[in-house]
Amino acid sequence: MKQQLNARIKRTVFSGIMLFAVFVLYGQNPVQGTVTSASDGAPIPGVNVIIKGTAQGTATDFDGNFTINASPDNVLVFSFLGYKTLEQTVGNQTTMTIVLEEDAAALDEVVVVGYGTARRSDLTGALTSVSSRDFDKQPLNDVSQALQGRAAGVQVTQTSGAPGGNFKIRIRGANSITGSNEPLYVIDGQFASINTINVNDIQSMEVLKDASSTAIYGTRGANGVILITTKTGRSGKPKFDVDLFTGISNITQKLDLMNAAEFAEGVNFSDGTEVFTAQEIADLRANGGEDWQELLFQTAHFNNIQLSASGGSDAVDYYISGNYYDAGGTVVDHQMFRRLNLRTNLNAKLSDKIKVGLNFNVGQTKATGIRADLGVGLSFDPTTPAFDDNGDYNFNSIKNLATSQTNPLVAAENNVRRNINDRISINGNFNWDILDNLVFNTSGGLVKTDIHNNAYAPLISSGSGRADVDNIYRTNLYNTNRLTYTPDIGEDHSLKIDAIHELVIDRSNSVFITATDFFTDLVTYKDLSAANVQTVANNESKRELESFLGRVNYAFMNKYLLTASFRADGSSVFQKDKWGYFPSGSLAWKISEEDFLKNNETLNNLKLRLSYGEVGNQGINVFGTRSRAVLGLAVNYPFDGTDVTGVAPSNRISNPDLTWEKTKQINIGLDLGLFNSVVDLSFDYYKKNTTDLLLDTQLPPFVGPTNKFVNAGEVENKGFEITLDARILQNDKWNVTSTLSITGNKNKVLSLNDDVQFLVVGDVIRANTFPVNPTRVEVGLPISSFRGYVFEGVYQLGEETEAAQFNKAPGDAKYRDVNGDGLITTDDIVTVGDGNPDFIWGWNWDISYKNWNLNFLLTGSQGNDIYNLQRGRLMALGAQQFHAVHGDYRNRWTSTNPSNIPSGRDGTEILSSQFIEDGSYMTMKNIALSYNVDPDVLDKFGLDGLRLYASAENLFILTDYTGFDPEATASVSNEDADIGIDYNTYPINRSFTFGINVKF
Amino acid sequence: MNRIYNILFLFGMVMLVNVSCLDLEEDTSSLLQVGQIASEADIEANISPIYISVRRTNNDPHFLRTATYGADDITTWIAGNKAPLRVFDRFDYGSGENSDINWLPVAWDNYWRTIYYCNTLIEGLKTATASEALVKLADAEARVFRAHAYLNLVKIYGNVPLILDGYLPTGEEQRATVLENYQQIESDLLIAEVSLPTPGSESTGRASAGFAKTVLADLYLTWAGWPVKDNSKYAMAAAKAKEVIDYNHYTLLPIEELWTFEGAMSTETVFSVRYPADESRWGSQGTAFTFHQGRGFSDCFPELRFFNDFPEGPRKDYTFLLDIPNRNAPGGVITPRNPPTIPWEDSDRGHPMYRKYVFAEDLTVISRPVNFRPYDLYRYAEVLLIYAEAQARVGENASSIEALNQVKRRAAGLPYSVPNATVDVATATPNEIVDEKGWELAAENKRWFDLVRTERVAEMAAKRDPSEPVTLVRMPTSAQYIAPIPFESISLSKLVQNPEGFKIQ
Repeated sequence: MKQQLNARIKRTVFSGIMLFAVFVLYGQNPVQGTVTSASDGAPIPGVNVIIKGTAQGTATDFDGNFTINASPDNVLVFSFLGYKTLEQTVGNQTTMTIVLEEDAAALDEVVVVGYGTARRSDLTGALTSVSSRDFDKQPLNDVSQALQGRAAGVQVTQTSGAPGGNFKIRIRGANSITGSNEPLYVIDGQFASINTINVNDIQSMEVLKDASSTAIYGTRGANGVILITTKTGRSGKPKFDVDLFTGISNITQKLDLMNAAEFAEGVNFSDGTEVFTAQEIADLRANGGEDWQELLFQTAHFNNIQLSASGGSDAVDYYISGNYYDAGGTVVDHQMFRRLNLRTNLNAKLSDKIKVGLNFNVGQTKATGIRADLGVGLSFDPTTPAFDDNGDYNFNSIKNLATSQTNPLVAAENNVRRNINDRISINGNFNWDILDNLVFNTSGGLVKTDIHNNAYAPLISSGSGRADVDNIYRTNLYNTNRLTYTPDIGEDHSLKIDAIHELVIDRSNSVFITATDFFTDLVTYKDLSAANVQTVANNESKRELESFLGRVNYAFMNKYLLTASFRADGSSVFQKDKWGYFPSGSLAWKISEEDFLKNNETLNNLKLRLSYGEVGNQGINVFGTRSRAVLGLAVNYPFDGTDVTGVAPSNRISNPDLTWEKTKQINIGLDLGLFNSVVDLSFDYYKKNTTDLLLDTQLPPFVGPTNKFVNAGEVENKGFEITLDARILQNDKWNVTSTLSITGNKNKVLSLNDDVQFLVVGDVIRANTFPVNPTRVEVGLPISSFRGYVFEGVYQLGEETEAAQFNKAPGDAKYRDVNGDGLITTDDIVTVGDGNPDFIWGWNWDISYKNWNLNFLLTGSQGNDIYNLQRGRLMALGAQQFHAVHGDYRNRWTSTNPSNIPSGRDGTEILSSQFIEDGSYMTMKNIALSYNVDPDVLDKFGLDGLRLYASAENLFILTDYTGFDPEATASVSNEDADIGIDYNTYPINRSFTFGINVKF
Repeated sequence: MNRIYNILFLFGMVMLVNVSCLDLEEDTSSLLQVGQIASEADIEANISPIYISVRRTNNDPHFLRTATYGADDITTWIAGNKAPLRVFDRFDYGSGENSDINWLPVAWDNYWRTIYYCNTLIEGLKTATASEALVKLADAEARVFRAHAYLNLVKIYGNVPLILDGYLPTGEEQRATVLENYQQIESDLLIAEVSLPTPGSESTGRASAGFAKTVLADLYLTWAGWPVKDNSKYAMAAAKAKEVIDYNHYTLLPIEELWTFEGAMSTETVFSVRYPADESRWGSQGTAFTFHQGRGFSDCFPELRFFNDFPEGPRKDYTFLLDIPNRNAPGGVITPRNPPTIPWEDSDRGHPMYRKYVFAEDLTVISRPVNFRPYDLYRYAEVLLIYAEAQARVGENASSIEALNQVKRRAAGLPYSVPNATVDVATATPNEIVDEKGWELAAENKRWFDLVRTERVAEMAAKRDPSEPVTLVRMPTSAQYIAPIPFESISLSKLVQNPEGFKIQ
């Protein structure tokens, strides 16, 4: 109440001064008025009120009021972003009530593009915007959630349910096989990791997809660019926004595993001896044994608090926000994730010509505890209780069954981890309108990240105690200088020229310490001198990028638009070919501006876009082209008991000729608005060809070094994107809108080095687990193609002769002899699946009825396969597993149960089509119901808004997939060559959230 | 006009500002160049990884021996995760199948890594500035390990490509013939035996000329048998083994000392790999050779027929463990269960264990039995038996019979150099000597290669105990004498898989 009173006083004083001023200066008649929004009747602050044909004007105050001196014949122009501009003659009115309609078409909306802004209607490239309006009704804690399902052409995959979130974002598929496919993130002009931003601070995100939009980012643009704009204050009274939510998470479903008695029967069967007596099995049946999934999974809680204050005057505006988020893990045990964030965005107008801005963001994430190894946990012996009669751990399976690994609870409950990540980003800009048509803008900034990862495995879990202390310090400095010239070249022409110079320097320093053989658990990683053996490794690296850019935007008659850009990038990571040159061009035709369509009632917008451009990818690490000698404990030899320092040759062959990966992309787009944009349709078709692929090739082990980075081959991505926006119902009570986005991408390897037909990459999955890589990169196929034998069931009784030909017997797995040579050899391994979907989609609905709002997002993926190697392992395949624990083993083949589940001990392959499954799914990603308390009620409490909401994430998933869930498994690693392999994935969660949002 | 000039000036300024501020060069001062071997210190530092590589190769005997399970001295668990070992125990290979199983590439990858390290050193030494004596010594050391790695590769997989010092990968590599491989190995060893120090004068833990000559004797013995069958090499094997004997440096330890920690750094040791005194690294022999009941992995244990045929006596007592340890590890600490041992017939694997690899086990480091005992690549008993057999092939003599009898005497717990009528023989057929070698070196990764070169794999398979849980899918023929080349190398190169790619000469 006090605030309201204060505000009234301020308003009165302010209005008084204004009135006084205008009387003194002009002596014209003062006109007063209020501007409100047509949709909710709320006053709109900051609306520009200008006397048409003059530079005189004002803006509405925080209550939507304005006062201006005008003569009766003046026409006032009211304009505000997101609303239709309204013109009104003053006439004899002294008090005006202005109602602005929201501009659904949003064609005049200003969007952020690379190194500048543009009106949406003037865009020539392919760009998708996601505004905070699209996601602010759903409780989010990660930027990826805001993008998922809401931007056509963007594939956001949740790769893990671990707290803190793990997402993979791909724009228009993966170009690179071993280089990075991560998009470039630009936050308020600054290059930074997406992890550095608090999603609640985001005003809008623009996704640049085609080459004409991304070529301006040159060597870093090939994977698409996501421009993030944070919130700023608006002039007016201070606004406070408080948002609190809290909730619980559980995994979406458990796996079908055998109970202890079934498992014991399986062990007796597979070992061919009576490991369990009939009595023991009967006891297990009566007492149940241990349900490891019950022990491994738990309910987790999470909380989020977001506070912000914003406001400003004509000269200065500010936005200050703080965020706290914490979340526990759904996999035991002491995992906790906590994030703190503080942001200040300040803008000041130093004069009519000079504006400065400073964005300041600090944050910390802390992740503690380690989770149980799910791979071990799920495959653990259910006849062994987690604890013995004394309450101590049963360290291993009592009868050494299922797996020889340690009880998964031991490490989870005893190991210590404390990872702290501190970030500071500072970003300043200076904008000088040198002349009416010439603007100089310079910006620069620093992102500093300190990573401290500390872990300790105590004596009980590691035998002798082991501590790891990693300290990594990264700084990123950038400076961008831009000159924009918009010469007046006649009424029908408009021209804008940008010239830009940019420097980016990344530095990194790291120290890694490992200490083993502790005599006590008391000091953990905090005092490594308690350890007998300490090893230290460190490294220092620097990466530089210097660029020159130019861009021309030209429009003729506001119908024919042309954009051309050119960027030259010089990078330090390449030895010889340091400079890359990246041109692009695009054309657009606003057909709806042509006379024959101009006033068409049905069709209010029709635009055709065409673009071509070349972009690059420098996705290799510092020193990536060089071979580096191997040093350290692993190569020191104790000739007489004490280690002598050794130097081993590199496992990598140097390639001084290595250079950019280049992507050429063509894009054809169509934007269509019908019935005053009640329906908006946007369609894009693209084709990208990436050549000189940066390939980290594996060499055959016998030649010596095992890896070499080369430029070779060509990958093609082509696809389409459809975005359909519809305002289905809009009246006093109802407001129903819906957005559907569909993305289809086909990925194909066109060629590889010389005459090579395939390559093996993506070693992450394999690492001592499989003798053959589950995927390979093969000419003519998508980059992640699953390899394996073709499973044809089980040899049945009566097929002894056929089976004997392959040294098999009834009960053994039957594989197709593809080449018909009478043997099952590696020549019979073929492509058995593909982890890439035919298309993915997201469908967002926003339904408001009076004070209620229901917002939900359905997402889905169609036509992708999953290699369920997790199931293979649970069926006792692979190097670590002794006995099957999976429920399928109940139905194993026996002479009396002629099923198609192999039960032979030998010759069953994990890499076979037996473990290929359809990974298509549809999920209710997020559904939120909120209630906005009536303004009448709010007034009594001095509030501007109060919203209560409840939401659910991953409420249901429709899929045939038998693993935990198809989304998390769609990418177990960030390697795009390994997409769609399910092995040790952390299942994603179903969460229920309740929250409250207060504005005052 | 001024205005336009100003604009142009500003454009120019923007484009030129900081132009030469970044040099875009990587600071490589933190990088150690590969193959930069000049000084004495460089040489020493480049030798260390070779020894590390040899130790890593022998660290996990179950992995290393995957392709040798066809031998009659070892078998494996019928169930669990041992399917790759059973492939070879059952002879389920020979026509290119099962080249993509786990653990088969371990020996391949390890031996080739050693070769790469040796090649890098040999190449770097060509321009080294250190003293000639040191360069020659280092060159000899690299050659003996390169030769040893090649010999093992050829024994396991047949003929392999010749990748030597100064080689750059082309993608066009092809397999040489077995004979070419042998000739290369021989040429390296002939250089090494000259430059390496005589046994006893080498630095602690380093290779000596005795080691080079022993590998050479082993090469000639192999050369004389399958597949090249050049009988003239028997005499060379005998002569080379005799040179080792004639150093008068090596001895046989009393049987009760042989498997102690010190036993692998004694005068019986021709060459062994070492573990650091700070116990930061250890070997997994104990884990591989212990049953799960005793906190091991049940990878490797004797076949029943081999155990039953093994002559009684002290050597048998030190070779096999009949009371199987029964342990658990509450809290991660190995602790005996009650009863602490179980008779082998009632144990979880129903076989005896190999005692020689658990004799010096350490139960206190982790929750599995591990070893710090150095691991012998060759010990003197083998030299004596190579000599005895090779000489017997060309005509036995008193000294070759004495060599055999020395081994027999020690096996009986007697002083080995004192003739003893209770164990001494007056004559022995080559096969009898091979069998004596099988017993003496049981599970020491020798028996399979002896059976292959003497073409006696089928003979032993036919005698397999019918109660052995792992049953054969076929009677082995020469098709089973070599393992398939691991699939990764076949798929990434132009090498031709066995049997098509197997070329003798």
